Amino acid sequence: MTDHDEPHDDARRTDDTRRTDDTRRTDEPLVSVRGLEKYYYEQDTLIDRLLRNDPVSIKAVDGVDFDVYPGETLGVVGESGCGKSTTAETLMRLREPTGGSVTFDGEEVFEMDGDRLSEFRKRAQVMFQDPFSSLDPRMTAGQIVREPLEIHGVGTREERRERAADLLERVGLSADQTDRYPHEFSGGQRQRIGFARALALEPEFIVLDEPVSALDVSVQAQVLNLLSDMQAEFDLTYLFIAHDLSVVRHICDRVAVMYLGEVVEVGPVDEIFENPDHPYTEALLESVPRADTDERDREVTALRGDVPSPRNPPSGCSFRTRCPKVIPPDEVDLPQKSYTDVTTLRNRIEREGLDLEFVWEFAGDPDREDTAAFKETMREEMFDSFDADFAGEDAAVMDEAFDALAAGEVETAAEILRERYASVCEAVNPELPDSTHPAACHLRDQPADVREAVAAWEADDGAAAGGAVGDGAPAEDAGSSAD
Amino acid sequence: MISDRLKRNLKKEFRNSLLAKVGVFLMLLVVLSATFAPLLAPHNPTQTNPEQAQLPPLGFESERETSEFVDGEVQTVSRSVEGSMEHPMGTDAVGRDMASRILYGARTSLLVGLIGSAVAAITGVTVGLTAGYYGGRIDDGLMRFADVMLAFPSLVLAVALVGLLGPLTVPIPDPFVTAGLADGMPETFVFPVTVTLVVALVNWVWFARIARGEALSLRQEEYVKAARSMGASDGRIILRHVLPNSFTPILVLATIQVAAIILLESALSFLGFSGTNLSWGFDIAQGRNYLATSWWIASIPGLAIVAAVIGINLIGDWLRDALDPGIEGESGGM
Amino acid sequence: MVDDDIPSTVATSEEDLLRVEDLETRFFTEEGQVNAVDGVSFAVRESDVFGIVGESGSGKSVTALSLLDLVESPGRITGGHIWYRNADLAEEHRERTPEAVDGDFVDVLQLSEGQRRALRGPSFSMIFQDAMSAFNPSLTVGEQIAEAVEVQRRAEANPRSVRSKTQGYGLGSYLSGLVLPQRDFVNRQSKLEAIELLEKVGIPDPAERADEYPSQFSGGMLQRAMIAMALAGEPDVLVADEPTTALDVTIQAQILNLLKDLQAETDMSIVLITHNLGVVARMCDRVGVMYAGEIVERGTLEDVFDDPVHPYTQGLLGSVPDLDRPGDRLHPIKGNVPDLIDSHMDDRCYFADRCPKAMERCLDPPGERQVGGEHAARCVLVDGEYDESEALADGYFEGSTAGDAAASEGSTADAAAEEATSDD
Repeated sequence: MTDHDEPHDDARRTDDTRRTDDTRRTDEPLVSVRGLEKYYYEQDTLIDRLLRNDPVSIKAVDGVDFDVYPGETLGVVGESGCGKSTTAETLMRLREPTGGSVTFDGEEVFEMDGDRLSEFRKRAQVMFQDPFSSLDPRMTAGQIVREPLEIHGVGTREERRERAADLLERVGLSADQTDRYPHEFSGGQRQRIGFARALALEPEFIVLDEPVSALDVSVQAQVLNLLSDMQAEFDLTYLFIAHDLSVVRHICDRVAVMYLGEVVEVGPVDEIFENPDHPYTEALLESVPRADTDERDREVTALRGDVPSPRNPPSGCSFRTRCPKVIPPDEVDLPQKSYTDVTTLRNRIEREGLDLEFVWEFAGDPDREDTAAFKETMREEMFDSFDADFAGEDAAVMDEAFDALAAGEVETAAEILRERYASVCEAVNPELPDSTHPAACHLRDQPADVREAVAAWEADDGAAAGGAVGDGAPAEDAGSSAD
Repeated sequence: MISDRLKRNLKKEFRNSLLAKVGVFLMLLVVLSATFAPLLAPHNPTQTNPEQAQLPPLGFESERETSEFVDGEVQTVSRSVEGSMEHPMGTDAVGRDMASRILYGARTSLLVGLIGSAVAAITGVTVGLTAGYYGGRIDDGLMRFADVMLAFPSLVLAVALVGLLGPLTVPIPDPFVTAGLADGMPETFVFPVTVTLVVALVNWVWFARIARGEALSLRQEEYVKAARSMGASDGRIILRHVLPNSFTPILVLATIQVAAIILLESALSFLGFSGTNLSWGFDIAQGRNYLATSWWIASIPGLAIVAAVIGINLIGDWLRDALDPGIEGESGGM
Repeated sequence: MVDDDIPSTVATSEEDLLRVEDLETRFFTEEGQVNAVDGVSFAVRESDVFGIVGESGSGKSVTALSLLDLVESPGRITGGHIWYRNADLAEEHRERTPEAVDGDFVDVLQLSEGQRRALRGPSFSMIFQDAMSAFNPSLTVGEQIAEAVEVQRRAEANPRSVRSKTQGYGLGSYLSGLVLPQRDFVNRQSKLEAIELLEKVGIPDPAERADEYPSQFSGGMLQRAMIAMALAGEPDVLVADEPTTALDVTIQAQILNLLKDLQAETDMSIVLITHNLGVVARMCDRVGVMYAGEIVERGTLEDVFDDPVHPYTQGLLGSVPDLDRPGDRLHPIKGNVPDLIDSHMDDRCYFADRCPKAMERCLDPPGERQVGGEHAARCVLVDGEYDESEALADGYFEGSTAGDAAASEGSTADAAAEEATSDD
């Protein structure tokens, strides 16, 4: 498509002209994203500056790497707020990136301007989620589909008209519907119009931003079938943003899983769904209720807590506050469940603020005198099987920490617990190694620099109190990088 | 921009609402009066006639004191005068026909109202859309300026601006007179340029605020993002997507602003800044001194203003109801 | 041939707590009369979870609102019965309104407005999809839950007949509470109970969180708080309208686990309204599939999921991509849900225009037929196999429905799909 400089030709080309560009079938990625960052800043207005409020950074996208190969569908999944849509919009240059690079067909997207940018805007398209806000309510279906052609001056007025009618028919609408306004269509039909608009310039790459999540299941299936058909017909490359894992499994070739602005695992779809490497991916898959009669008896261990705020992301691995598989230090020999309980307690103390008053009240001693009752309550309420699992050194350390808490010395308690229980997960941020199915988790293979950092931390931890790479550091980093 | 659905809604609202009908009726009255003033007016509105001064409207009587020679002496005689068909709304202090003045006054009010509102709308919408669409520093700058404008009482600001610009008027030849259809009527119609500009300058801020709010929310819409992703220029996006979709509230505001501007123009004329002497506000000012003896000189133009303003506001309500997006949405109830 | 006109009756069971019979809720809008709920019957057993599943516009949410009599103008419940088993209530009404009492069952719809309101809380309670809008943003979460507790506490202190009058929750007591601090509506006991409820639904540091405002809660936490509020009256029936739709899957899993645990603990019955077949499968013992204001198929979860009879149920199950198996081509139902406007609805099986097995017999409205046990469906296929010789011609319904935009979607979509595949 790119080598066509005759604009009129483009419009006349019918869709059965298959692309036979040989270079696109090699292993060169069509889109390559490296270290993509998009930060937002709060408290950054003039008044905040006058009041000397430090800007708070929100790392919506925090160093994302992935490649999209020609002809494939790469799914990007994650929960709301994980940054998947921001990633898509930033790589399409709909938002200004804070850092990183995106290459499209070997060319740096963030450096394009003029004709090159215009060319990129032709070859890469976006289809949006909301069937109600993605179409201008004051334009007819025909006008909407013609708009990209007009912007790029493709064809004559008559040719554009024909092409729009042809496209609408191709996505399953009838020719007599071209003069209707969006509100006269159903949700599924609106998404078809949006898709026809994305197809108008014969792009190679389409970002599908939750294209079916606003639709009912039966209509969703219609649109999914349409997307697959068009991909096969036009040799399209899709970046498919979604939160619905069944849809991803159905339509994607490879999947990238995002959590808190980072990609935690990438791999071929079957491997991701059958052998997930990252505990988050595992939990995500476990959480999805299956439409199956065995579902009622399936044991689902839901993840603890909420996604942390991106204003104050956890140090190290961002998933560690909810992870059921946080790695204990070597010298600690606790069952995983109890160790996880310890990390939960530590998170409550360090990040969320444990409500001591409530514990005392719960212990039946609002006057804060009976330390034994307080400790008993802590053991009962915070742990599943404290008495069975904690012995020796562990029991002593926990006792010391509870004493500190009972005395109201929260900082001390945090310090005591950190000293013994600090995990590699909170000290070193795992990264994606270079492989076909990488996972950013210390339980899996890690790149050399991460392994070195882990070794350094372990050596350090043995000697000093550890936790030097503790909380607070990321926020400061963000502050300084803002300037 | 006017879709079939809109027409349907307009019709439906019109049928269902008595107030809309009243509004359209009043407005038609004002528009027809203004347009055909030279044909409808019984007299030249500027023709003075001391003999016929302070005649009451048809159906009213008033005592008039005149100095007459009675038995060789000058005496003040009080005589009862009745309104007549000749001057159905009476005459003013120097004998000008009030009915004709009201008809011609409608021209001034309507023209200043419409042109003033249009100028204000164009200025305000341009500023507002720019500020809202780009946001950031541009938005901050433009909107702080608008806030400063809003901080002044509008009449004070208007008086100051009139003082600054000086009175400028343009005589427009009256087509009816030129065509020989209305002999004896004023040959030109005096259009008060300064006043129009001033009322526009005072009122554009409202448009800017509305347009900015619309642009701020519309730029988040996915179809605006879609247009950007296709490579549309900012100008194209603003004209093609943002403006048409913020049209409804702007139209409603523009309608209501016509009324506000008519009031402001009357106030300026009343204070003597009109630039034309064919204005309702001017007449009120003239009649102010005769309230005790000839109430109609001030009251009739006052009623005209009230009627025009109510008419326009009712039309504004009608438009707002008919264009309400709530009605445009999906079928209710579910 | 089974007679189509048998009235839909609900097999009564000793365990039934709620029997809904021929419930009709209509909306009287400018576009016309909307038959949102059109003769719905089902039974909810004690400590059972009954799921109502359907697409948007099928009338499932209006059914939920109707159960609590929360339908607002221009909507109205225009017919049917909601029999609720409550021996005390039945005893109380046996004398005064004998027509509203049947054994231990009371027809809620025949009670007075005030008496029905009194049932909300101790008998019926509801949670919604959008927890954010269910809370008043200017009051703390604790205050609002405490208020719900207080209302229940006062209600229980009074005999039921008095309770129905004002419950001490009128404007007067509110105003006196403003002026006289000691007449504060919510007492300390209720506040503590509110905190206990928050803890029960798994909110960490409940005492602290109780003093926060709804905007300081995450979506999942707010959903928990709403459940806490609904539990304040220890209801017999909890109606949950899309309780997890707005949530992420990991949070959804938490909330579903919570609902399961709470149900096991309190023995309440749950009516769960959802469009998500997975959620139904996870939670429900019995299911009703809703389409166009009717329950087209109902039965135990196994009946409906493993042996669906109605082509709509089959289509719905076929539309969902399977998480555990790589994707084949999906088999969507063509077309869209009809708009339920009375004048647009032909008197026939409402699914016939989208049904792959539509026959001439489908042009008469099918009554509900027993498939076996508790399994019932509104479909002629219960009586016999699909007979191709009776099939309706392709395009039979085209142009006949007023919602033509919606109706044409499926047919053209199919055409496009065929075209696309034949191109390959």
